[in-house]
Order: sequence, then structure tokens, then C-alpha cells
Amino acid sequence: MKINILTLIALFIVVTTVNSQETDSTSVYKKRVLETTEIDFLSSYYSQDGDNAAVSGGVGTEELTDITAAFIVSIPLNDDDILTIDAGVSAYTSASSSNINPFDGNKPADPFVASSGASQSDLWANLTGTYSHSSDDRNDLWSAKLSVSSEYDYFSLGFGGSYAKLFNEKNTEVSVNANIYLDTWNAIYPTELRSFADGGNGLNSDFFTNHTITGNTNYNPKFTEFSSESRNSYSLGFGFSQILSKNLQGSIALDLVSQKGLLSTPFQRVYFSDVTDSFIDDFQLADAVEQLPDSRFKTAIGGRLNYYINEMFVLRTFYRYYSDDWGIQSHTASIEVPIKITDKFTLYPSYRFYNQTAADYFAKYEEHLSTDTYYTSDYDLSKYAANQYSFGVSYTDIFTKFHILKFGLKSVDLKYTMYDRDNTLSANIISVGLKFIMD
Amino acid sequence: MIKKSLGLIIVIITFSSCVAVKEYEKVNINDPDMALANKKSDRNISTAHSYREAASGANGGKTGGGCGCN
Repeated sequence: MKINILTLIALFIVVTTVNSQETDSTSVYKKRVLETTEIDFLSSYYSQDGDNAAVSGGVGTEELTDITAAFIVSIPLNDDDILTIDAGVSAYTSASSSNINPFDGNKPADPFVASSGASQSDLWANLTGTYSHSSDDRNDLWSAKLSVSSEYDYFSLGFGGSYAKLFNEKNTEVSVNANIYLDTWNAIYPTELRSFADGGNGLNSDFFTNHTITGNTNYNPKFTEFSSESRNSYSLGFGFSQILSKNLQGSIALDLVSQKGLLSTPFQRVYFSDVTDSFIDDFQLADAVEQLPDSRFKTAIGGRLNYYINEMFVLRTFYRYYSDDWGIQSHTASIEVPIKITDKFTLYPSYRFYNQTAADYFAKYEEHLSTDTYYTSDYDLSKYAANQYSFGVSYTDIFTKFHILKFGLKSVDLKYTMYDRDNTLSANIISVGLKFIMD
Repeated sequence: MIKKSLGLIIVIITFSSCVAVKEYEKVNINDPDMALANKKSDRNISTAHSYREAASGANGGKTGGGCGCN
């Protein structure tokens, strides 16, 4: 694999070197890369439900709502350079994660009922800074990125860079990008397992003194805290795009991703078929938490092909194939047909299909054996297919008549998306995007 | 698969040398809806995919920038 990656890098260098020696007949007139400061405000409301919560071992409510808001400010530093600051927050309420501790609510514990405890909600915050530079002839583009994100049990530090080269009279572009994420868990375990950690009192702890176990009263889970809580991700991507005619252009992209560290989610329960069940109220106590390998290598190749049909219609298509060494293979295909109904309004109907095979380590509720090395009942790693239907509308005012302070409103995007998996999970997303430009 | 990808890239690069649409002929190509990327306003939909689908990349959800575990 390393040889193949080196081959791709060598090919990229050869292509960019050879083509950089060509004389680009494009005018060297130097236009500012970005004329003025732009602000994008993005927001979304997401809700989902399903019956296969990973927190409760593949059974239980997956009800979740999430509200996201982000500002993206792009500032031209001079003719060639742009600084982009992307700041966002995401607040969610999850019935599933509330059942990390299902015993702190007012109702009897049940995997299909949300608990009212602290783990039912969390806030994710992200800040990303990107600096990009274009060459005088606009045929070379460099960028560097630094990001941090944080939530209660997770912290991520990311940095990366990219380089793109245009040639053939800006008809062809090749690009390469690399990103590294250095993440750290603050591992949270299911409540009933915590007293079985090293130094814990097991069934003699206060928790079990205050709760009555039914079923197998000799509850003895297979549990050891994870020794390492770091997760590092390294990605390398190659892109190639080509104008194929006055109305047709396409691109292909190859992504390689390597992950190391704690790839399991510490609070996701697993129930074994060869262990007698124990309960408190109607909630089955965990036999273990998810165990996944500490490395994963992903490969994905995808392509886009866009065709300008006429002044009213554009055809946008996308396909991506994915494979990893956990046994997951996936196909994604989408089609979108923007319809310009007036010079200001465009409609965006689209359809997306996605499917994946199951990870080698996935099994349903009570189908794993306690002798297995790796196990998970997270249905995000199961075999399934999903259909997605979207309908959006966009308003564009090139004259930016509506103003807030010194910023004129350039466009408004509104989209509704319905996502439906064939394993009970379904989701709805409403997303809004506003773009302002400084006078 | 990487060998196939490499072959595809070489073929496309070879054919690309035959095509050169002039700048003044790119009116349709430069239409915002012809961009070879998702719209910025679709970002939160892509984030949802990275949380719920195993085939996500390295820039969101379960592979960085957040655990994507809810």
C-alpha cells in the first residue's frame, strides 16, 4: 500500500511539474481572489428516531435532536491571500446517550425511554482557521488549516494543508491535501460498569446497594477501562478535475485515511448470547462495552459529473465507492437538478442513495459471544441501505439590496432533507444558509 | 483498487490534453450550480452523513473534529 501511495504522490509531482512548464495563454490580468469580506451564516435543525440505539446494545430509542449554527467569515488580506474563520456550535439532546445512565430519571429505567440525567444533552464547539494563497497567474493555490473542537467527552485538534495546480488554460486541475486530527477521549462508561473498574467495589458499591438486580443477580460484566484515550486520524487526498466541453465538467477524488488509537465508543453497551441477562427495572445491564480494533485504514474514490443543460436546468451527479479493512464497503450515488425558475430563485430537488456492508465486528443484540475479541452492536456499522430526498430553494440578489450594518444579503438557501434507512432509523434535516458581503 | 484509480487518472489526464475551452467560452461552466463541490449550505447535511454512515472521510464525524458518537 505504501508503494502505491508513493506512486500516486510521484505521479502528482510529475503532472504538476510538466504542466507548470507550459505557457498558459490565459491572460495574466490579476483580479483579487476575493473582492470583499464575506460572511456565511449556516444553521440546521436535525431530528432522528430509530429502534437500534448503540448505547443500549442495539435495542432502544435513537431519538435525537440537534441544532447547529456557524459563522464563516472570509477576509481578503490582499489581492492573493484569504483568511477564513469558521466558528460553530452544535447543541444536541439525545434519548440514546441519556441512557448512559438510565437510572437517574423519574421513570423506571427502559432502553426505549429517555432518561432525564446529565448525559441527555451536550454542546459541541468548533473553531477553524484557514489561510489560502493564490499565485499571480491564479494557477497555483496553497492553503493551511488549523482547527479545534470540543465536547464534554471529546477534544480534537486538527491541522492540514492543500495544494492545487491549474493548467491547460485552466481547463484541468490537480490537487493534493493532507489532514491530521489528534483527538482525545474523556471516556464515559455505562453507569452499571463503573464500579467494576479497577479499584471499584463491584456489586458492593453504593449504586448496586441502592438498586435491585433481577434476572441473573450474580452480575459480573466483562469490563476493563480503556488504557489509551487518544485517537489519531491521518488523511491524504488527491483530486483531478477537467472541463470536458463548454457545458460539461467532471472530477475524481481519491481519499486515503488511516486511524490509530481508541476507535471504540466507550459508552456503547454489548450483550452476549452466552451470558445470563441481568436487569434493573426494565433495563438490561451491560455485559461489556464495544471493543473495536485500534487501527483502521479507509480508501475511497469518487467522481462528479456536471452538465449544463440550458439556462434553466443543470444536471449534477456524484458517485463514491468506499472500502476499509474492517470489512465495510459502500456505494454512494446522488443526482441533483437545479432549476432556475427566475433570475433570483433556483429550486434544488435531489436524490441520494447510500448502502454499506456490515463491519466484521458487528452483530445484533445478544448475538455476540463473550469469547469474541471484537464486538459492537452499533447499527451505524451494520449492513443497510438509505434513501435521501431533498428539496431546496435558493434566493440570490446580486445587488444585495437588503442590509444589516455594512453587510448586504447576497443569497439565502433553504433546504429540507428526509433521510430513511432500511433498519428503522429515519431523520429530517432543515438547513438554512445566508451569505452576506461587505459593501 | 488503487491501481485502477491510477489507471483512470492517467487516462483522464491523457484525454484532458485534447480539450481547451477558452476563458470566454466558460460562461456555462462558471455557473455556480456547475461547481464540482457541495454547496456551503449543505455542510450540515454532510455532517449528519458522517455521523450516521460508516463510510465517512477524515474531516468530520467519527474520524476527527468530534467523536460523532451520538
